[in-house]
Amino acid sequence: MAKEKRYSEKKDVRVDFTPMVDMNMLLITFFMLCTTMIKSQTLQISLPSNEKVDKTEQNKVKQSEAVTIIVDSDIDENGVPTKDYVYYYEGMPNIDDADKDGKIDNNIMKEIEFKGNENGKAQGIRAVLQDRNKQVVEKIAALKEDWKAKKFSNKKAINDSVYQARAKEIRNDSTLTRPVIIIKATPNASYKSLVTALDEMQINNISRYQIDRINGTDSAMMADFLVARQK
Amino acid sequence: MKVTTEKKKPFIDMTAMSDVTVLLLTFFMLTSTFLQKEPTTVITPASVSEEKVPEQNLITLLVTKDSQIFMSIAGDRDSTYSSDKMREEVLKNVVAEYNKKQPNDKKIQLTNADIATFGSTHMFGLPLAQLSAWCKLPAEKRDALLDPVKNPKAGIPIDMGKDVENRNEFQQWMLALYNTSNPNLAKAVKNGKGIAIKADAATPYSVVQVVMDNLQTLKMNKFTLMTALKTEED
Repeated sequence: MAKEKRYSEKKDVRVDFTPMVDMNMLLITFFMLCTTMIKSQTLQISLPSNEKVDKTEQNKVKQSEAVTIIVDSDIDENGVPTKDYVYYYEGMPNIDDADKDGKIDNNIMKEIEFKGNENGKAQGIRAVLQDRNKQVVEKIAALKEDWKAKKFSNKKAINDSVYQARAKEIRNDSTLTRPVIIIKATPNASYKSLVTALDEMQINNISRYQIDRINGTDSAMMADFLVARQK
Repeated sequence: MKVTTEKKKPFIDMTAMSDVTVLLLTFFMLTSTFLQKEPTTVITPASVSEEKVPEQNLITLLVTKDSQIFMSIAGDRDSTYSSDKMREEVLKNVVAEYNKKQPNDKKIQLTNADIATFGSTHMFGLPLAQLSAWCKLPAEKRDALLDPVKNPKAGIPIDMGKDVENRNEFQQWMLALYNTSNPNLAKAVKNGKGIAIKADAATPYSVVQVVMDNLQTLKMNKFTLMTALKTEED
């Protein structure tokens, strides 16, 4: 005898998910448009305090170590910077004019560019800075090789922190020849050019740099340099 | 003979697709932070610095190309010092300071509703004298007043900032921000992580310098500059 069927017949229930997918896609689009995935980075700077410092306590920068970078920009009629320029000189500024011809006898100012690396070699201002900071840069490069080979520790976090600490030590090692960079910006200079200059300090592992105001000597040197360049 | 192919409605199973989209949605919801409303878009210059902007206890100073200044404050993770509460506290402080120096008819009077409105605004930048009128406007009009394109006079008034007796409004705001009841914010400002300047790459440096000078006058010598990430090959 055939068994009687007691159960209700199972039917394949199909739910149409198309509207659900439509809605989800809309939500995804919304989230993608309204959110930020990339967080901004920050560049830390500390300015000297404004309080009057006793002249004797001020440590003068050694002439042989000083490099002054001056950033400047062209501006259009709306005051928006269009093209950035970089000038630099090494050591003390000199505006002597012995023969009284209205020109500075020996203008040590030079024009240079923010160029970065090309074919693995530093160009422009970076080449100058790297050359001045050679000892530190070489040591950091050696340290970086060790860090890449994970010589300090197999754990990434420890490896990183050891590398950071050692790099900081090298950057602040007073037994090495390290330059002191003075960054100055003309009134027309764009904010971008200043940040680029500060960035070069990071790239070239320069620990001693400062932002200063442009003074009369610098302006005189720059004016003289620009006149000479136009000829 | 007529040949009619039988039309069959094809049924595509969307379940798998739905699974994928829900996964994606979850991913986006969990990883994202919402864009905060800012009066204007600022394109920051690029740098190789990899330090991230802190999310808590941060004062952001937005500097536009036309040297208008806006500020925003991010409170602590602790809800006692949430962003909204910090803003309300700062507003009360700054108004109290401002009123001390004003004649009676020019004192700012704020209702609780005004303060709550201010508390929910992410970024603010208007002269204090316009504050109480601004709070009473409908939302779209408030945004329009803060927009530097529609209102060229937007922004917190600032000057060279050398006069310590009569501090400019920017310094009054900064002092109010520094002297809140939130100890973590004061600590962050002291170690240089609490103030971030967000300026457009095309801003003349002289404009940013004025802001920096004012901070220096307030002995807030350490701060950060917001930059976008640039990769530099070795």
